[in-house]
Amino acid sequence: MRGASFGTGDDLVGPLDVDVRAGEHVAVVCASPHAAAVTARIAAGIVKATAGNVSIGEFDPRVQPAHCKHIAVFVPHAAMPLPEMDFERYIAYRAALWNVDRIRATAHAKLVLARLEGVHEAFAFPLAGALITPATMVVLERPQPAYAAQIVAAVGSRATFTTHLDPATAEPFIADKALRR
Amino acid sequence: MTGRAFAAVVEARTFSQRHTLVYGLVAAGLVGAVQPRGLAAPAFFCSLVGIVAALQQGPGRFPHLDLCEQSAPLFGRELARAKALVPCAIAVIAAAAYCATASLAGWREIPFVFAGTLAAVVPSTLTASCATLRAGAPRRFYLAMAAAASAIVVMTIVWARQPWIAAAFAAIAAFLALRQYGEALARYDPV
Repeated sequence: MRGASFGTGDDLVGPLDVDVRAGEHVAVVCASPHAAAVTARIAAGIVKATAGNVSIGEFDPRVQPAHCKHIAVFVPHAAMPLPEMDFERYIAYRAALWNVDRIRATAHAKLVLARLEGVHEAFAFPLAGALITPATMVVLERPQPAYAAQIVAAVGSRATFTTHLDPATAEPFIADKALRR
Repeated sequence: MTGRAFAAVVEARTFSQRHTLVYGLVAAGLVGAVQPRGLAAPAFFCSLVGIVAALQQGPGRFPHLDLCEQSAPLFGRELARAKALVPCAIAVIAAAAYCATASLAGWREIPFVFAGTLAAVVPSTLTASCATLRAGAPRRFYLAMAAAASAIVVMTIVWARQPWIAAAFAAIAAFLALRQYGEALARYDPV
């Protein structure tokens, strides 16, 4: 991101200058939940910045949003409403959206779920659903600091971009080499 | 978008709107039993069911499904087709239920009325889908257009007695509404 911002006036989010290299863990501390949500969505290519430049891999989210979403996968802050789908149906749904083999995705998701032991299902399912995709960067909107160790272990060697409301909650998500703002 | 992704979106959306589907089906069946004459009643009632089902697809109603779809590598137009199919299917099922109970009540013009009802409900439901991505005056404008599309089809068939013109109007209106929905979904920023 180079000078990336969204909105105007009091609702302005940014401008942000952030680089995420392969395998790197980057945490951004935001002023409000709205800013954290918008920043994470810009990083995942879901929201298009109104000013500045954003590149995800070699792609511009304004022009090639689908290509960007092959690289960055988004995990929302909100808990998943569990009655909506059981685990296997949810993983099959996510696998179909990303065109990933259903059987391999289910097996992979069960391994991820094992690594996320202790994490509430409402937070574990969306992360498992994100990690079955071939995306090389995981964007987490205000992840729960209580589950930081399990989340970092489950994400493994992929790059992460997380948003937070204070530095203390960002700390567990960034390694020594990480860039932090 | 693969056929698998299309089917997954349709299945997840249908499951999340299963209550609307059942209520629409039952209500249309009841209304068909007590009001089995004329094209206007099934066309307007089933258009209303379609509009309600379309509005339920709006952002915020099923936020987790919205985010899964928005963060997936799908194009807006492709996603629009899958999402639009669900309220259209609900409206068509309601029309079928209406005609089924009307036929049990002794009505004999079922095939013609069913076709006329479909011509009314599909463009109005797709136009209402466009309203889900807008707020304020544009949203009200699209809802008014959805109601108008249904009324134009009914008037063309009942008063002008030009069913082929009504069918052509319905096809063009549905195509334009679906295209507009796809464009709006591609440009939509979910914040």
